[in-house]
Amino acid sequence: MQSQELNLQPEPGRKQASGTWWATLRLPLLALGGALALTTLVLLSSGVSPLQAYRILIFGAFSTPVRFSDMIMLAAPLLLCATGLTLTFSAGLYNLGVEGQLALGAVAAMLPLRLFPELPPALLWSLCFACAAAGGALWALLAAWLRLSAGVSEIFAGLGLNFLASGLALYLVLGPWRRSGSASMSGTELLPRELWLPTLGALRLAPLAPLLALLALALVWWAVRQTRWGLQLRAVGLNRVAADRLGVPAQRRIAEAMAGCGALAGMAGAIQVLGVFHQLIPNISSGVGLLGLLVALLVRADPRWVLPVAVVFASFTVGSVQLPLALGVDSSIAGVLQGALVLFALLARGLSRRVTG
Amino acid sequence: MEVAVHNLCKAFGAVRANDDLTLRFAAGQIHGVLGENGAGKSTLMKLIAGFLRPDGGSIRFDGREASLHGPGAALRAGVGMVHQDPLDLPAFTALENLLCAAPRGAIGSRAAGRQLLSELARRLGFTVEPDAPLASLTVGQRQQLEIIRLLACGARVLILDEPTTGITAAQTRALFAALRRLAAEGNTVLFVSHKLEEVAELCDTVCVLRAGRLVGEQLPMPVPQRRLLELMFGAAVAQPTAGGAGEVRITALRSEGGLPANAGEDGTPALPGLHGSPTTERIAGEAVWQLAGVSARAGSVALRDVSLSIAAGRIVGLAGLDGSGQPILLRLLTGRMRPETGHILVNGRALSGGGSRAYRAAGIEYLPADRLNEGMIGALSLTEHFALLQNAALVDQRAAERAARAAIADYAIKATPVTPIRALSGGNQQRALLALVPPDCRGIACEQPTRGLDVASAQAIWRRLLERRLAGCAIVFASADLDELIAYSDEVLVFFAGRVSAPLHRAELSVARLAELIGGVGFGGG
Amino acid sequence: MRQTPLQILALLLLAAGLLAACGQQQATQPTSAPTAAQPTSAPTAAQPTSAPTAEEYVFGMVLVGPINDGGWNQAHFEGAKYVEEQVPGTRLIYIDKVNPADRPNVQVEQAIEELIDQGAKFVITNSAEFADGTAIAAEAHPEVYFLHASGDAVLRGVAPSNLTNLMGRMEYGKMIAGCAAALQSETGKLAYLGPLIDPETRRLVNSAYLGARYCWETYRGQPADSLAFKVTWIGFWFNIPGVTLDPTKVATDFINEGYDVIISGIDTTEGLVEANKASQAGKTVWAVPYDFRGACAQGEAVCLGVPFFNWGPRYAEIIADARAGNFTSQWEWIGPDWNDINNSATSMIGFERGPALTAEHAATLDEFIGKLADGSLNLFSGPLNYQDGSVFVAAGETADDETIWFTEQLLEGIEGQSAP
Repeated sequence: MQSQELNLQPEPGRKQASGTWWATLRLPLLALGGALALTTLVLLSSGVSPLQAYRILIFGAFSTPVRFSDMIMLAAPLLLCATGLTLTFSAGLYNLGVEGQLALGAVAAMLPLRLFPELPPALLWSLCFACAAAGGALWALLAAWLRLSAGVSEIFAGLGLNFLASGLALYLVLGPWRRSGSASMSGTELLPRELWLPTLGALRLAPLAPLLALLALALVWWAVRQTRWGLQLRAVGLNRVAADRLGVPAQRRIAEAMAGCGALAGMAGAIQVLGVFHQLIPNISSGVGLLGLLVALLVRADPRWVLPVAVVFASFTVGSVQLPLALGVDSSIAGVLQGALVLFALLARGLSRRVTG
Repeated sequence: MEVAVHNLCKAFGAVRANDDLTLRFAAGQIHGVLGENGAGKSTLMKLIAGFLRPDGGSIRFDGREASLHGPGAALRAGVGMVHQDPLDLPAFTALENLLCAAPRGAIGSRAAGRQLLSELARRLGFTVEPDAPLASLTVGQRQQLEIIRLLACGARVLILDEPTTGITAAQTRALFAALRRLAAEGNTVLFVSHKLEEVAELCDTVCVLRAGRLVGEQLPMPVPQRRLLELMFGAAVAQPTAGGAGEVRITALRSEGGLPANAGEDGTPALPGLHGSPTTERIAGEAVWQLAGVSARAGSVALRDVSLSIAAGRIVGLAGLDGSGQPILLRLLTGRMRPETGHILVNGRALSGGGSRAYRAAGIEYLPADRLNEGMIGALSLTEHFALLQNAALVDQRAAERAARAAIADYAIKATPVTPIRALSGGNQQRALLALVPPDCRGIACEQPTRGLDVASAQAIWRRLLERRLAGCAIVFASADLDELIAYSDEVLVFFAGRVSAPLHRAELSVARLAELIGGVGFGGG
Repeated sequence: MRQTPLQILALLLLAAGLLAACGQQQATQPTSAPTAAQPTSAPTAAQPTSAPTAEEYVFGMVLVGPINDGGWNQAHFEGAKYVEEQVPGTRLIYIDKVNPADRPNVQVEQAIEELIDQGAKFVITNSAEFADGTAIAAEAHPEVYFLHASGDAVLRGVAPSNLTNLMGRMEYGKMIAGCAAALQSETGKLAYLGPLIDPETRRLVNSAYLGARYCWETYRGQPADSLAFKVTWIGFWFNIPGVTLDPTKVATDFINEGYDVIISGIDTTEGLVEANKASQAGKTVWAVPYDFRGACAQGEAVCLGVPFFNWGPRYAEIIADARAGNFTSQWEWIGPDWNDINNSATSMIGFERGPALTAEHAATLDEFIGKLADGSLNLFSGPLNYQDGSVFVAAGETADDETIWFTEQLLEGIEGQSAP
C-alpha cells in the first residue's frame, strides 16, 4: 500500500520536464494504441469488422437523440461515482466499495419515497437525494472505520460491504418492498409517473441528473485543487507518514474522503432509482461503480479529465447495445475496450517510469 | 572450508561499501568481523553468502573461485547466513520450515526430516521442538532452527550477523557453545558483531573494517580492547582521554572525519553561530521534556526505565550503534510511540497518552532521517508544503509562495517555490525540512540530521539548529558521527542494546569514551 | 517496480471482460447464426444502417433470456422464425438476454429503441417483467405496434392503443403435465420447480396440481390427501448466480427428499437435466420440462412429456394483420386446438409426450385430454379453496377467466409459498 502514491496522482513535476506535445500525449496515445490493438484482436477473432464495431462503439451513442439521452443518463451516475473516487484516490484509498455505496444510496433514496409519497415531488426528491447521500456516506464510513480501527484494507472491506449492500437490496426487492402479490427479483413496483425525475420531452434524459453530477464535479475539483482540505487530502494520499508529521489529521481526512465518495455514490444511486430505473432493482448499480473505478483509474484522480473520460466510457457502453443487432457480436466488447484502455494506461505509465526514473 | 576474498569491491552509488578487500578466513575457526556502522561488514557478508554480487574481485571457497548467483548457489557451495531477523515462515511448524527450505532431495521424508532436526538440535544443545509452530518460538529458537536448517542443507561455513541481538543470555551461551563445537568439527564461523566483549569471548581471530577497507587483518585473539576500538574508530582513540589533549585530538580527528576544523583559541571547537564558548547554563531554561520511568519496546530492542529531563536551550546527542534503541527514544519524545510504562511531560504537561499531533501542538517537531519518505511529501513543492501549514480553509497561494521564497532565501535552498521536493538534493531537502519547522517550536528531535550531507551542507544545517537553540528550543539528535556528537552536544546519552548510559556532560566527552560505551564497555555484563 | 493492487485489479477486470466476451461468443453462436444466415434471403441484414426495402416488413423481438434456452425464450424465437417463413417479406431482428444480470445497463425500452432504429415496425416483448417498459415504449412510438406476450395491460385497461397482449392457456398444458406426473409417480410425491411468484405462475402451479390430483384420484384410485405436491420458487425465470436459488440445487434437493417427478415452471431445463443425472445414477425419477416442444431432447430417458407454447401461428396472423393495417389492441388468451392439440399450424398450446411415459399411462393421458377437449371436465370447478382456507371457487361454480388470470394464492393441498 505504500507505493500507491506512485500511480494515482498527477505529477506536476514530471510534466514540466519536457514540454513538447509528444511528451504530454505520448502516454495516452500509447495506451490508446495498445487498447485498440487488443480489442481489434478480439474483434477479428470473432470475425467482425473492427472498423464497423469501432464506429458503433464510438459514435453509436451520438447517432440519435434517444441514444444520446441514454448516454447522458448513464454518464450522470458514472460521473458522480468517478468524482467521488477522485476524492478517495487523492487520499490514496482504493474505494472498491463504491458499488455498495451506490446500492445503499439507492435503498436509502427509496425510504422517503415509501414513507412520504404524498409530499410535493420537489421536496421528496430533495429528501431522496439527501437520504441517498447519507446512506452512501454511512456505508463508506463503515469501510473507513474498518480500515482505521481494525486495519482492514478498504479494498476488502469495500468488497465485503458490496455483497452486503446488494444482498440488502435483493432482500428488500423480494421481501418487504415486493410488488403486491408477486415475488420477483425484477424489482419493486414502478414509481408513480409524477415522481420520476422530469425529462426532456419524450426522451429519457432527466436534466437534473447531469446537472447534479456536473455540480458535484465542480465542487470536488474546487475542493481538491483550491482548499487546504484538498491539499491535505492529497498530502495524505501521497505520503501519509509525512503528512502526519506536518500536522495533517490523516485519519480524519481519510474518513472524510470516504464519506464524500460514499455520499456522491449514494446520489448516483438516487439517480438510478428516480431517473433511470424508476424502481429499486437488485442490481441497481448496474456496474456503474466499477465503471467509475475504471474512469478514476484512467484519469489518475485528476478532476479535469473525469468528465471527458466518463462521457467516453458511457458512450462505449451505450453504443455497444447496438453491436449484437448490427454485427452479431456481444456488447461486452465495450467492457474489453474500457478495461484494455485502463490496463494499457497503467502499463504505459509503469514503463515510462522505468525508462525515465 | 576456507573462505577467501581477493580485491573484492562493491559500491552503492558513490559509497564504496567494500573497497578492494583481500581476506582469508581459515577453516575450523571462529572469525570475528568488527567495524562501526557503515564500515562494510554486512556488505562483505552478503557478498560471501550470495545475497549481493560483487562489482569486482573474486570469492574463493577452498581455493576454488565461486560465482554466486544467489543465496541458493552459496548454500550449495556450503555457505549459509543467519540473518538478524531469521527468514522463515511463521505459519509453519519448525519441521515444516526445515522441509520447505531444504533443497530438493536433501531430506527424503517427513520422518527423515524430523530425525535430522532432532539429532542436530541435540548435537548442538538447542531446544527446538519439531512440531512447535514457528510463531510460538522465541527469536533465539528461530535462530537455532535457522542454524539447523543451514547445516541440514550442507553448510560448512556459517555467517552470523549480530546473532545476539534480542536473545536471552542463556540462549547466547547455548549459541556460543554450539558455534565452538561446529568450529571444532572443522566448520568455519564468521561472527559479525558490535559487541567487543562477545568477540573477545568467542572468536579465534578478528578482522576490523573501517569505511569499506580492511584496517585490521586476521588478528589472533586476544587483542586488547583499546586496540580494537582504535582500529574501529580511528587511530587517535588510543590516546589518553584526560585533559586538554583530548580536545586537541578531536580537532585532529575532525579534519580527517569531515566536520569543520575551526578550532577556537582554547582548543574547543568554535561552533558556527555561537560566539565564545557554548555555556549552556546561560540559555538553558525550563524543562521541555521530562521522562519518568519510561519503558518501551520496538522489535527486539527494549528501552527500560528511562528517566531524564531536557531543558530548553539544551542540545542532547544520542550515540550508539544501529539497533541500540536511539530511534525508540526519539519516537517517544515526539509521540510517535506511546510508552508502555512511565510518564512523559512536555512543557510540564503530561502527554504520555497523546499522539504525534498532540506533541506537535505542544511545539515538538520531529525531523526524521528519511526526509523523503517520512519528512516531506516528495511530489509536492515547497509552496505546497507551506500551504499545508496554513490555518485557513482556503489556500492562500500567495502567502504560501511568499513563505517558500523567504525560506529559499533564508535557508539558501537551491530550488524554486514550485520544484517538487524530491527533485532537490539531500542537503537542500534537509534545509527545506528545517525551514518548515514553525518559529515557535519548543523542541526538535532529529534523527541523523546530517546523514549523507557534504561538509558545507552539514555545517549549514547545524547553523540553523543552533539558531533555533538560541531561540530557546531544546534539541535532541541521534547521530552515528562521534565528531558531530562531541562538537554540538551539551550532553550525550549512549545507547547499548536498549540500555541508556548516564548523561555524559560536555566536559567528559571524548571519542575514546564514547567508542567504549558504544561498544558496550562500561555497561556491565548481562 | 511493485505492482499496485489497482494494476492487478485492472488486469482482473480485463481478464473478466475478455472471458465474458469469449463466453458470450459461444453462447451467442445461435444468435449470430441466424443473422449471418440472413444475407442469403435478405442481403441487407448485415448492413446495420441500410433502410429496409419498401416491401420488407421488419419485426423485432426482445427476449428476457437466451434464444437457445430450450424453454420459454426458444419457444418465442421459434415462433418468430415461423412468422418469417409463413408471412412473406417479413424479417426478424431481436435482442435476447435483456435482464439485469446479462445486460446491466440495458433496459427493455432501450432494447426496443434499438429495434425500432433498425427498422422494426412491430415489436414483441416476451416477459412479464417487460410490462412497464413495453407500455412506455409503446407510448413513445405510436407508429409502431407492440405485442406484449404474457401481459395483461389491455385487460387491466392501461394499455395504449398500439399495444396488444397475447398469452396461451398453458393451464391446460400444466393440467396434462400434472396428470402425467401423477400417473407415473411411484411415491406420490410431485415437485414443482417454480420461477418467481406472480399470478401467472400461481395459476400454472394450481393447474398442474389440479391435473395431478384428478388423475391421482380417478385413475390411480388414491385419496387426494396421499398426494404430496410441493413448489419451490427460485426467484426468477432462470438461474442468476448469487441472486436466485440455484435450480440445479433445488432439483437435487427434490430428488433427495424423495420427490420422483419434477415439473418445471422455469424457462430453462435444470429439472430435466438433474432428473436425468439421478436416473443414470440409479434413482427412479422423471421430469416434465416446460415451454419448448423440443425440450425433452435434454433427457429423453426421464421425460414424461412437455407442455409447450406454439406462438408461431397466432404471431403470424397478428403481424400479417398489423402489416395490412388491421391491428387491434386486445387481450388474448388462447387455448389449444382441441381437434389436435399438437398441430403446429393451429394449436397454441400442446403437450408432446416424452419417451419415459409408459404406453399404458399415455393411453390414460389421452383419455384425460379427451375429457378436457370435449368440455366434460373442468378442473376449475368448485369447491376449491386457497391455501389459507378462503374460497377460490365456491361449490357448484366454475371459475371465470379473470378469476383464474388473477389467481391470488396457491390451492389448498399444495405445499409452498403463495405469496412472499
